[in-house]
Amino acid sequence: MSELQVESRELEGVVLLYPKGFLNAHTVRLFESEIQRALDDQRYRIVVNCAGLTYIASAGLGALMGVIEEIRHHGGDIRLADLNETVRNIFEILGFNHLYRIFPSEVEAILSFREEGEGGGPVG
Amino acid sequence: MTAPRGRAPLILEVPSRTEFLAVVRDVTRAWAVVAGFARADADQIALAVDEAATNVIEHAYAGAGDKIVELRYEDRGEDLRVDVVDHGRAVDPREMPRVDLDRYVTERRKGGLGVHLMGKIMDSVTFRRSGRRNVCSLVRRKPEGSPGAP
Repeated sequence: MSELQVESRELEGVVLLYPKGFLNAHTVRLFESEIQRALDDQRYRIVVNCAGLTYIASAGLGALMGVIEEIRHHGGDIRLADLNETVRNIFEILGFNHLYRIFPSEVEAILSFREEGEGGGPVG
Repeated sequence: MTAPRGRAPLILEVPSRTEFLAVVRDVTRAWAVVAGFARADADQIALAVDEAATNVIEHAYAGAGDKIVELRYEDRGEDLRVDVVDHGRAVDPREMPRVDLDRYVTERRKGGLGVHLMGKIMDSVTFRRSGRRNVCSLVRRKPEGSPGAP
Protein backbone atom coordinates (compact mmCIF):
# COMPACT_ATOMS: atom_id res chain seq x y z
CA MET A 1 0.00 0.00 0.00
CA SER A 2 1.20 3.48 -0.83
CA GLU A 3 2.41 5.65 2.04
CA LEU A 4 -0.03 8.36 0.97
CA GLN A 5 -3.47 8.36 -0.53
CA VAL A 6 -5.32 11.53 -1.45
CA GLU A 7 -9.04 11.52 -2.02
CA SER A 8 -10.90 14.61 -3.15
CA ARG A 9 -14.45 15.80 -3.50
CA GLU A 10 -16.25 19.06 -3.93
CA LEU A 11 -18.87 20.61 -1.71
CA GLU A 12 -20.44 24.03 -2.03
CA GLY A 13 -17.78 25.11 -4.48
CA VAL A 14 -14.98 24.07 -2.14
CA VAL A 15 -12.50 21.39 -3.13
CA LEU A 16 -11.88 19.06 -0.21
CA LEU A 17 -8.65 17.10 -0.13
CA TYR A 18 -8.15 14.15 2.18
CA PRO A 19 -4.48 13.18 2.40
CA LYS A 20 -4.12 9.94 4.30
CA GLY A 21 -0.77 8.66 5.53
CA PHE A 22 2.68 10.16 5.28
CA LEU A 23 3.41 13.30 3.31
CA ASN A 24 7.09 13.71 2.59
CA ALA A 25 9.56 13.95 -0.29
CA HIS A 26 8.55 10.48 -1.46
CA THR A 27 4.83 11.11 -1.64
CA VAL A 28 4.51 14.84 -2.24
CA ARG A 29 3.95 14.63 -5.98
CA LEU A 30 0.63 12.92 -5.50
CA PHE A 31 -0.46 15.70 -3.16
CA GLU A 32 0.81 18.39 -5.54
CA SER A 33 -1.01 16.82 -8.45
CA GLU A 34 -4.32 16.88 -6.56
CA ILE A 35 -3.87 20.57 -5.76
CA GLN A 36 -2.88 21.26 -9.36
CA ARG A 37 -5.97 19.50 -10.62
CA ALA A 38 -8.11 21.91 -8.61
CA LEU A 39 -6.20 24.87 -10.02
CA ASP A 40 -6.52 23.54 -13.56
CA ASP A 41 -10.28 23.51 -12.99
CA GLN A 42 -10.05 27.07 -11.66
CA ARG A 43 -11.12 25.95 -8.22
CA TYR A 44 -9.36 28.21 -5.77
CA ARG A 45 -11.18 27.41 -2.58
CA ILE A 46 -9.48 24.41 -1.07
CA VAL A 47 -9.80 22.73 2.29
CA VAL A 48 -7.22 20.14 3.25
CA ASN A 49 -8.77 17.82 5.79
CA CYS A 50 -5.77 16.53 7.72
CA ALA A 51 -7.63 13.99 9.87
CA GLY A 52 -5.87 11.12 8.11
CA LEU A 53 -2.51 12.81 7.83
CA THR A 54 -0.13 11.12 10.20
CA TYR A 55 3.00 12.97 9.23
CA ILE A 56 4.09 15.96 7.19
CA ALA A 57 7.64 16.89 6.23
CA SER A 58 8.88 20.09 4.63
CA ALA A 59 8.14 18.76 1.16
CA GLY A 60 4.44 18.77 2.01
CA LEU A 61 4.65 22.22 3.54
CA GLY A 62 6.50 23.40 0.44
CA ALA A 63 3.69 22.08 -1.74
CA LEU A 64 1.28 24.34 0.13
CA MET A 65 3.64 27.29 -0.08
CA GLY A 66 4.28 26.80 -3.78
CA VAL A 67 0.69 27.51 -4.82
CA ILE A 68 -0.71 29.75 -2.13
CA GLU A 69 0.04 33.03 -3.81
CA GLU A 70 -1.56 31.96 -7.08
CA ILE A 71 -4.62 30.78 -5.19
CA ARG A 72 -4.95 33.96 -3.16
CA HIS A 73 -4.36 36.04 -6.27
CA HIS A 74 -7.54 34.48 -7.63
CA GLY A 75 -9.45 35.29 -4.47
CA GLY A 76 -9.24 31.82 -3.02
CA ASP A 77 -7.37 30.16 -0.20
CA ILE A 78 -6.10 26.88 1.16
CA ARG A 79 -7.52 26.20 4.58
CA LEU A 80 -6.66 23.36 6.86
CA ALA A 81 -8.88 21.35 9.14
CA ASP A 82 -8.69 18.64 11.76
CA LEU A 83 -4.91 18.52 12.33
CA ASN A 84 -3.61 15.96 14.77
CA GLU A 85 -1.16 17.07 17.43
CA THR A 86 1.94 15.96 15.53
CA VAL A 87 1.01 17.80 12.36
CA ARG A 88 -0.18 20.86 14.26
CA ASN A 89 3.15 21.02 16.10
CA ILE A 90 5.04 21.10 12.82
CA PHE A 91 2.85 23.89 11.51
CA GLU A 92 3.43 25.88 14.68
CA ILE A 93 7.18 25.26 14.72
CA LEU A 94 7.45 26.82 11.27
CA GLY A 95 4.93 29.58 11.89
CA PHE A 96 2.56 28.20 9.25
CA ASN A 97 -0.31 28.76 11.66
CA HIS A 98 0.17 32.48 10.89
CA LEU A 99 0.08 31.93 7.13
CA TYR A 100 -2.82 29.51 6.91
CA ARG A 101 -6.18 29.49 8.60
CA ILE A 102 -6.60 26.32 10.59
CA PHE A 103 -9.99 25.05 11.72
CA PRO A 104 -10.96 22.34 14.19
CA SER A 105 -13.29 20.74 11.66
CA GLU A 106 -13.87 20.50 7.94
CA VAL A 107 -17.35 21.99 8.31
CA GLU A 108 -15.99 25.12 9.96
CA ALA A 109 -13.40 25.49 7.22
CA ILE A 110 -16.06 25.20 4.51
CA LEU A 111 -18.33 27.65 6.29
CA SER A 112 -15.51 30.17 6.53
CA PHE A 113 -15.55 30.40 2.74
CA ARG A 114 -19.30 30.78 2.67
CA GLU A 115 -19.10 33.65 5.14
CA GLU A 116 -16.87 35.45 2.69
CA GLY A 117 -19.48 35.26 -0.02
CA GLU A 118 -18.97 34.49 -3.65
CA GLY A 119 -15.63 34.59 -5.41
CA GLY A 120 -12.63 32.36 -5.68
CA GLY A 121 -13.52 30.85 -9.02
CA PRO A 122 -16.49 28.89 -10.32
CA VAL A 123 -18.78 27.57 -7.67
CA GLY A 124 -20.07 24.18 -8.46
CA MET B 1 19.07 1.14 37.83
CA THR B 2 21.11 3.54 35.79
CA ALA B 3 21.10 3.32 32.03
CA PRO B 4 24.57 2.85 30.60
CA ARG B 5 26.22 5.91 29.13
CA GLY B 6 28.08 5.81 25.88
CA ARG B 7 26.15 2.97 24.30
CA ALA B 8 27.55 1.59 21.08
CA PRO B 9 26.23 3.56 18.14
CA LEU B 10 23.53 2.25 15.88
CA ILE B 11 24.50 2.45 12.23
CA LEU B 12 21.97 2.32 9.44
CA GLU B 13 22.70 2.40 5.73
CA VAL B 14 19.88 2.97 3.28
CA PRO B 15 19.78 3.38 -0.49
CA SER B 16 19.50 6.98 -1.63
CA ARG B 17 15.87 6.68 -2.65
CA THR B 18 12.98 8.48 -1.08
CA GLU B 19 10.97 5.29 -0.49
CA PHE B 20 13.51 4.46 2.22
CA LEU B 21 12.71 7.64 4.15
CA ALA B 22 9.98 5.61 5.87
CA VAL B 23 12.68 3.29 7.23
CA VAL B 24 14.74 6.25 8.40
CA ARG B 25 11.72 7.74 10.10
CA ASP B 26 10.67 4.52 11.83
CA VAL B 27 14.15 3.62 13.06
CA THR B 28 14.81 7.13 14.31
CA ARG B 29 11.54 7.35 16.16
CA ALA B 30 12.00 3.96 17.84
CA TRP B 31 15.56 4.80 18.81
CA ALA B 32 14.56 8.14 20.32
CA VAL B 33 11.82 6.50 22.38
CA VAL B 34 14.26 3.89 23.68
CA ALA B 35 16.59 6.74 24.64
CA GLY B 36 13.90 8.28 26.80
CA PHE B 37 12.10 10.81 24.63
CA ALA B 38 8.34 11.17 24.73
CA ARG B 39 6.61 10.04 21.56
CA ALA B 40 5.82 13.58 20.45
CA ASP B 41 9.48 14.55 20.75
CA ALA B 42 10.57 11.32 19.07
CA ASP B 43 8.26 12.17 16.16
CA GLN B 44 9.96 15.54 15.79
CA ILE B 45 13.45 14.05 15.92
CA ALA B 46 12.40 11.52 13.27
CA LEU B 47 11.21 14.41 11.11
CA ALA B 48 14.50 16.27 11.47
CA VAL B 49 16.45 13.18 10.42
CA ASP B 50 14.03 12.56 7.55
CA GLU B 51 14.76 16.11 6.38
CA ALA B 52 18.52 15.59 6.58
CA ALA B 53 18.29 12.35 4.61
CA THR B 54 16.01 14.02 2.07
CA ASN B 55 18.59 16.77 1.58
CA VAL B 56 21.25 14.17 0.91
CA ILE B 57 19.12 12.38 -1.67
CA GLU B 58 17.94 15.52 -3.43
CA HIS B 59 20.99 17.75 -3.22
CA ALA B 60 24.23 15.92 -2.39
CA TYR B 61 23.29 13.00 -4.65
CA ALA B 62 21.10 15.09 -6.98
CA GLY B 63 18.46 12.36 -7.08
CA ALA B 64 20.80 9.48 -7.96
CA GLY B 65 19.24 6.37 -6.46
CA ASP B 66 22.27 4.10 -6.48
CA LYS B 67 24.13 5.72 -3.58
CA ILE B 68 24.13 5.10 0.15
CA VAL B 69 22.96 7.33 2.96
CA GLU B 70 24.61 6.42 6.24
CA LEU B 71 23.02 7.29 9.55
CA ARG B 72 24.98 6.94 12.73
CA TYR B 73 22.95 7.18 15.92
CA GLU B 74 24.69 7.78 19.20
CA ASP B 75 23.22 8.03 22.69
CA ARG B 76 25.73 10.18 24.53
CA GLY B 77 23.96 10.16 27.86
CA GLU B 78 22.85 13.75 28.09
CA ASP B 79 21.91 13.98 24.44
CA LEU B 80 21.34 12.10 21.23
CA ARG B 81 23.43 12.67 18.16
CA VAL B 82 22.68 11.57 14.64
CA ASP B 83 25.26 11.93 11.89
CA VAL B 84 23.83 11.77 8.39
CA VAL B 85 26.69 10.97 6.04
CA ASP B 86 26.96 10.94 2.28
CA HIS B 87 29.63 10.78 -0.40
CA GLY B 88 27.98 13.26 -2.71
CA ARG B 89 28.93 16.71 -3.87
CA ALA B 90 30.21 19.11 -1.24
CA VAL B 91 27.47 21.03 0.49
CA ASP B 92 28.33 24.54 1.52
CA PRO B 93 26.22 25.53 4.51
CA ARG B 94 26.38 29.11 3.27
CA GLU B 95 24.32 27.95 0.29
CA MET B 96 21.52 27.08 2.63
CA PRO B 97 18.84 29.70 2.17
CA ARG B 98 17.54 31.49 5.21
CA VAL B 99 13.84 31.09 5.46
CA ASP B 100 11.60 34.12 5.53
CA LEU B 101 8.04 32.87 5.31
CA ASP B 102 6.71 36.10 3.81
CA ARG B 103 9.28 35.91 1.04
CA TYR B 104 8.42 32.29 0.55
CA VAL B 105 4.87 33.18 -0.29
CA THR B 106 5.72 35.93 -2.72
CA GLU B 107 8.57 34.08 -4.40
CA ARG B 108 6.79 30.72 -4.55
CA ARG B 109 9.84 29.07 -3.11
CA LYS B 110 9.79 25.53 -1.87
CA GLY B 111 13.38 24.82 -0.85
CA GLY B 112 15.15 25.52 2.40
CA LEU B 113 12.27 24.65 4.66
CA GLY B 114 13.84 21.34 5.63
CA VAL B 115 17.02 22.89 7.01
CA HIS B 116 14.96 25.51 8.78
CA LEU B 117 12.81 22.81 10.34
CA MET B 118 15.86 20.81 11.43
CA GLY B 119 17.19 23.88 13.21
CA LYS B 120 13.90 24.47 14.98
CA ILE B 121 13.64 20.88 16.21
CA MET B 122 17.22 20.08 17.15
CA ASP B 123 19.46 21.88 19.63
CA SER B 124 22.34 21.82 17.17
CA VAL B 125 22.65 21.22 13.43
CA THR B 126 26.08 21.39 11.83
CA PHE B 127 27.43 20.57 8.39
CA ARG B 128 31.02 19.69 7.65
CA ARG B 129 33.11 18.16 4.90
CA SER B 130 35.26 15.26 6.08
CA GLY B 131 37.49 13.88 3.33
CA ARG B 132 35.07 13.09 0.55
CA ARG B 133 32.11 12.88 2.83
CA ASN B 134 29.48 15.37 3.92
CA VAL B 135 28.47 14.98 7.54
CA CYS B 136 25.36 16.61 8.92
CA SER B 137 25.29 16.28 12.71
CA LEU B 138 22.03 16.67 14.57
CA VAL B 139 21.99 16.87 18.35
CA ARG B 140 19.04 16.97 20.71
CA ARG B 141 19.37 17.17 24.49
CA LYS B 142 17.43 14.64 26.51
CA PRO B 143 14.64 15.77 28.74
CA GLU B 144 15.44 15.83 32.44
CA GLY B 145 14.80 12.51 34.15
CA SER B 146 15.18 10.38 31.04
CA PRO B 147 17.72 7.51 30.97
CA GLY B 148 21.26 8.87 31.06
CA ALA B 149 20.15 12.50 31.25
CA PRO B 150 21.79 14.65 33.90
